[in-house]
Amino acid sequence: MTPVAVMVGANRIVQAAGIIHPLGSAELSPEDEKTLRRRIVEQALQALRTEVARPTVFTAE
Amino acid sequence: MASEPLRVVCYVNQFFGQLGGEEKAGVGPQVTDGAVGAARAVQQALGDAGTVVATVICGDNYAAERGERAVAEMLALVRAARPDLVIAGPAFLAGRYGVACGALCAAVQAQLKIPAVTGMQAENPGVELYRRQVHVVATGAEATRMLAEVTRLVALGLKLARGEALGTPAAEGYFARGVTRNVVAGASAADRATAMLLDKLAGRPFASEVPRPAFPGVPAPRLIKPLAGATIALVTDGGLVPQGNPDGIEALNATRYGAYSIEGKASLEAAQYDNPHRGYDTSWVKQDPHRLVPVDVARELEQRGAIGKLHETVYSTVGVATTLAHSARMGQEIADKLRAAGVDAVILTST
Amino acid sequence: MRLELRWSEVDELVAGSPTRLAGKRLAVDLDALRTLLAGDARLTGLRLDLVHPGERCRVGRVFDVVAPRARLEGEDFPGVLGGVARAGDGATLALAGVAVVATDQQTDSVGTLAVIDMAGPNAALSAFGATHNLVISAWPAPGTERPDYLAAVRLAALKAAVALARAAREAEPDRVEVLALPPSPRVPVELAHLPRVAYVFQIHSHQRPTGLDEGILYGDPVRRMLPTIVHPNEVLDGAVLRGFMGRSVTTWATQNHPVIRALYARHGRALWFAGVVVTVAQATEPERVRSALLTAGLVAHALGADGAVFTKIGGGAPHVDMAQAAAQCEALGVRTTLLVEDMSTDGSAEGMLLFDFPGVDALVNVGSSHEPLTLPPMDRVVGADDLAPRLLGESRATYGTLCGAIEQVGATRIMAEVR
Repeated sequence: MTPVAVMVGANRIVQAAGIIHPLGSAELSPEDEKTLRRRIVEQALQALRTEVARPTVFTAE
Repeated sequence: MASEPLRVVCYVNQFFGQLGGEEKAGVGPQVTDGAVGAARAVQQALGDAGTVVATVICGDNYAAERGERAVAEMLALVRAARPDLVIAGPAFLAGRYGVACGALCAAVQAQLKIPAVTGMQAENPGVELYRRQVHVVATGAEATRMLAEVTRLVALGLKLARGEALGTPAAEGYFARGVTRNVVAGASAADRATAMLLDKLAGRPFASEVPRPAFPGVPAPRLIKPLAGATIALVTDGGLVPQGNPDGIEALNATRYGAYSIEGKASLEAAQYDNPHRGYDTSWVKQDPHRLVPVDVARELEQRGAIGKLHETVYSTVGVATTLAHSARMGQEIADKLRAAGVDAVILTST
Repeated sequence: MRLELRWSEVDELVAGSPTRLAGKRLAVDLDALRTLLAGDARLTGLRLDLVHPGERCRVGRVFDVVAPRARLEGEDFPGVLGGVARAGDGATLALAGVAVVATDQQTDSVGTLAVIDMAGPNAALSAFGATHNLVISAWPAPGTERPDYLAAVRLAALKAAVALARAAREAEPDRVEVLALPPSPRVPVELAHLPRVAYVFQIHSHQRPTGLDEGILYGDPVRRMLPTIVHPNEVLDGAVLRGFMGRSVTTWATQNHPVIRALYARHGRALWFAGVVVTVAQATEPERVRSALLTAGLVAHALGADGAVFTKIGGGAPHVDMAQAAAQCEALGVRTTLLVEDMSTDGSAEGMLLFDFPGVDALVNVGSSHEPLTLPPMDRVVGADDLAPRLLGESRATYGTLCGAIEQVGATRIMAEVR
């Protein structure tokens, strides 16, 4: 729940794929799920290297 | 409730105890019979309701530098005087004094089980440090109207000592302690909300019933090391635990977290894990734990050199209805462990 | 739309044949009612009990409470009990002082169920400590799955509610309450200066998906519901029911909706009641954002509201969902007030809120359901035979355990005061 993370002051927040499967999906095939997961993790790694001044939400391209 | 006059012990610093100014701030705890210095105003405010049987004096520097030890020494002097109530300060804007007042009152309550009250101005650091544990009355910045300030301290102190019900912080003049208690209001929430909205629309002042969260900003260090040389750890509050939940992480209001090894693992085998989290439907992440903790992808990134190392321990807790206090503590403990292990950055996954 | 609620006061509820309201004494033919309700093949072992205010009795395994209502003409609880037909226009019989209590005999997770105390200090904290209650206990027939069992239990409660209210059909009502609200745009020119106030009513939360048979809005299980507008009378006359989830909300409170009543009470004087937007709390952030956008559009651009009152149903995600809708309204210049439930679980004021949006600063709270409460010993337990040994004695519970003490639509006066 991104607004909660923003409120408590988490600085780098990557929008994941849903409450019940943050790094997965109910609709995708296992291969596509893994691709989605890879994309979110890579975005998280990029976010770690990104300068931020305040809580920032990074959404998937 | 007319009764026996209460035995009251006062705590004052070197100045209000009339020993001297800054040059006496190093003085250690001492006690005098009866009311000395500012404690005389307390006696005046008490009238027949109480007697200041002793005044404990301590220098501000002694208290600030010795911390807990100074409090322990003062506590011994307080205990010996057998009070029904302890009144510390008022400390106004004097920071070392305010912090010492708060610390002493907290110890008196916790260890001697005796009611205590203190007072200081809103910006005194003692307020933020102690208002949750101790009743801190709001005073002005200076001692110009000592008796008036002390009168409010004494009034609240007497209620505490007699076990009388307290009014709201606004009514009694103390800083909100940040605890809530259910009461029966004068009107239903629906009626109160309608009235509040009409006030807001008309530009009239209104009193919101819930304080806005005030989370202090968190520093945001950037990972400067290239990813190829960095150690990345995975942490989750989505409730991943090994089968059998060996650390007994609670399904709700968790106070514990676990440290689970992924050394040598390219992936998480679903059969070896479980999930007690009660805040969401966990069947998806039980079916495939990578939907919560992406060990498979992280390991691949490590193997092809995209990250330097995947830390061999995953830290996990259950993040539903976790109190702020426990969350902060667990976060701090996990962070300390990760730093000691040479981890450079963390990916925290949450629902 | 003009709803005429024909109220009959009841201060005595007894078993007797035939079912009849004489003065303030309601006699209920329990055998006939039992036969009627037991006709549902999904239920077995159906039992009816009567409990009264002042009796040292505790009702356990409480699932929901329904207010006795029956249309003089037309469909009752349309889409769920009756056929789909307009609610909120015409005459409806209503009994005051009586409630139908549905219990859940199937679940082992009794921590999610509530109790009602008919005497002692807790009786005053809930409306149901002061009503004469008809308690329905029924067990699932072999092979009845949970969603079907709950649908059957709720249906039984609705049927009982109608049967009781119909007893007032021949009687002269003690008072007639007329609720009439013209279509939102039709404001007489002399009242055009009044602030227009809407109510945003979150009627379900997708934290728990609804069953197919779990009708909430005119019988629709609102699985893909986008924000929409209803007339307040429709809420007051049985078009909106509580689903099968959770505590801190009863169908009774929806039928007696306190926010709608509060707005009606001031309508034409301090405000113009601009209408009701119903929403569902979403489970993903993109859906929350879309729902908030649509809600704010309805409030600001369709209803032309100057202000809006918000309530939620459920836990933390609905709490945030409501706040996001309010934030979007504030961004469009609509002033908002929210009824929140204290989200803290340790009595600390810092944990009360899970959001902090600009402009969303007028907050009323409906109390802390986690605050401890003592259940004193009782002489009799109804609706929970298996739990009776524990429920007869003194035990520690929370405010949330007591049905009707904490109501998210703002029906009670319990408030978490920050000290």
